[in-house]
Amino acid sequence: MIEVRNVNQSYSKRSSKKTLTDVSMVVKENAITALVGANGAGKSTLLSVMTNILPALSGVVLLDGKDVRKMKANDLSKRVAFLRQSQQLNVRITVNDLVEYGRFPHCGGRLKDEDHQKVEEALSYMNLTDLRHRYLEELSGGQCQRAFIAMILAQDTPYIFLDEPLNNLDIKYSVEMMKILTQLVEELNKTIIVVLHDINFAAAYADHIVAMKDGEIYYEGPPQDAITPEVLNPVFDHDFHISNSAGRPVFLYYDEDDPNCEVCVS
Amino acid sequence: MTNVKQKRKGMVSQPESPDCPKLTTFEEIKKAERRNLVFVSSIIITLLILGIFLYIFSRTYAKAWRLGVPMRPDAFNSILQRSIPALVAMGGSAFLIAVVSLSFQTIVDSKILTPSMIGFDSIFMGTQTLLVFLFGTTTQFFLNPHVNFIVSAGVMVVVSFFMYSAILRRSKNNMIFLLMFGLVLSGVVSSGTRYLQTIMSFYEFTQVQALINVSLNNVNETLIYMVVPLMLILSFFMLFRHRIYNVLTLGSQQARGLGVDYQKELNFNLILIAIGMSLSTALIGSLTFLGLLAVNFARMVLKTHRHLPLFMISGLVAVITLILGEAIVELIQGAVPVTVVINLVGCSWVFYYIIKDNKI
Repeated sequence: MIEVRNVNQSYSKRSSKKTLTDVSMVVKENAITALVGANGAGKSTLLSVMTNILPALSGVVLLDGKDVRKMKANDLSKRVAFLRQSQQLNVRITVNDLVEYGRFPHCGGRLKDEDHQKVEEALSYMNLTDLRHRYLEELSGGQCQRAFIAMILAQDTPYIFLDEPLNNLDIKYSVEMMKILTQLVEELNKTIIVVLHDINFAAAYADHIVAMKDGEIYYEGPPQDAITPEVLNPVFDHDFHISNSAGRPVFLYYDEDDPNCEVCVS
Repeated sequence: MTNVKQKRKGMVSQPESPDCPKLTTFEEIKKAERRNLVFVSSIIITLLILGIFLYIFSRTYAKAWRLGVPMRPDAFNSILQRSIPALVAMGGSAFLIAVVSLSFQTIVDSKILTPSMIGFDSIFMGTQTLLVFLFGTTTQFFLNPHVNFIVSAGVMVVVSFFMYSAILRRSKNNMIFLLMFGLVLSGVVSSGTRYLQTIMSFYEFTQVQALINVSLNNVNETLIYMVVPLMLILSFFMLFRHRIYNVLTLGSQQARGLGVDYQKELNFNLILIAIGMSLSTALIGSLTFLGLLAVNFARMVLKTHRHLPLFMISGLVAVITLILGEAIVELIQGAVPVTVVINLVGCSWVFYYIIKDNKI
């Protein structure tokens, strides 16, 4: 269980501008939690604090009752995996090698039979077995993203954090990505926390929404309650138009002057 | 034209395509990698043996022939007696320089920065001068080469640790800044050193010269038997940690995600690097571009990111470059010392790198 208690964070100790103000939340287990909010709302900061990349200035993040700041990096990496916004690597490396590095927290780079097995499982789960000897730079954006997910699967952690995984992905790969995340929750009982920019994706795939504004949690709840104009208009500081498609709300955030859109506003 | 075509074909071809020779299994790839490693290392070891023989030959028979005197066995033995420590010092230092350079490049995530390029060795020389300046006349203590070495290495470790950990923590990704910093630092320290040398007494000056004007022709022999074992221990210690360096090549963020405490690694490695640089600088002097040359050459021939082969090959390449270069210089009695040649080639390499990628 991951619990965030009264976390405060700012750019530097002296700076008065806070990026997180008194944030408290409990991460929902075996579910996809989507963090939504405008730029600078503190979503990525919250993710970094939860994974101890950026230790909290005050307050605690408890992972199974233990303060993450006091955990050893290695122990933490056996429980929590974090996929960052961009995975630009400076090194020419094959998919297979990358996924093998996912086992590093468990074996320190000395792979045993069990580790090889986990690597195989991760590769086949992400449909990468045929591509395993390709270098990452030869892969498409979607394949590359899958390779990084495979690494995280090999890392074999119950918690997975993703910071804007749909960045740079086209629609097809974005949908594929979200489906994979849903599968991970359903089949492998993972707990996933993901920063999403597209609220329609959040509405369609997340089990739980955390809407952030100005470093605070503005609203938290299931998508049917959170993905509403009442919540999202102030969060994004924008008047959304809502259309209904197959009984689900779809948010439109462009063409405000389009007369057809006005009709949709119920 | 054909080249471009082949490249394109290579890029678009799917692994399924039958005309593309594909390595099917993991074992085959590993085998190919290993074959490459065996091939490269056998060439390197041959060259190494050749270099050692050439070095001894050029110091004995070639010299005797040039002077027109026959080589007497007792003269040969006495030259051999003197050549072996020199060879040991060169070998140990060159290997260590390469290992330290590679680990430094990995932790700062750059392929062209080396410790000496950002001023590590000038700090060592500055420290030694300062020590003699401050304590030289009052006590003989620091003039004992062993004591002097230990004290200056200790001071250097402390100084460079604090300085570089502060600098690297803030601007690790700012290569231009690091290069500028190294340039300015070397300038400040070496002109400060020269200033102190100018104002100190002649006696102190000669002491400093004896300590810091070591070079390949003038290996600090009193230190060899203390320093070389330390060098070997340090090199092998870093070699044994190759798996951690492998993870660090993924970048500091990924490494942290995989449970490597990056900040701790950075600090720890800075200490190791400072020790390594003081060891090699004390013994054979400053060799700015040897590490760069050896590490990049190893990367080029091995085409891997794994550190165990990279460490070994770059270490051996550095040893060969130094010994073979020195042997050739002795053989042709060139007026140019081998360090100048190495720095010339190394500089050109950096130049090429900057021109080719148009970036640092």
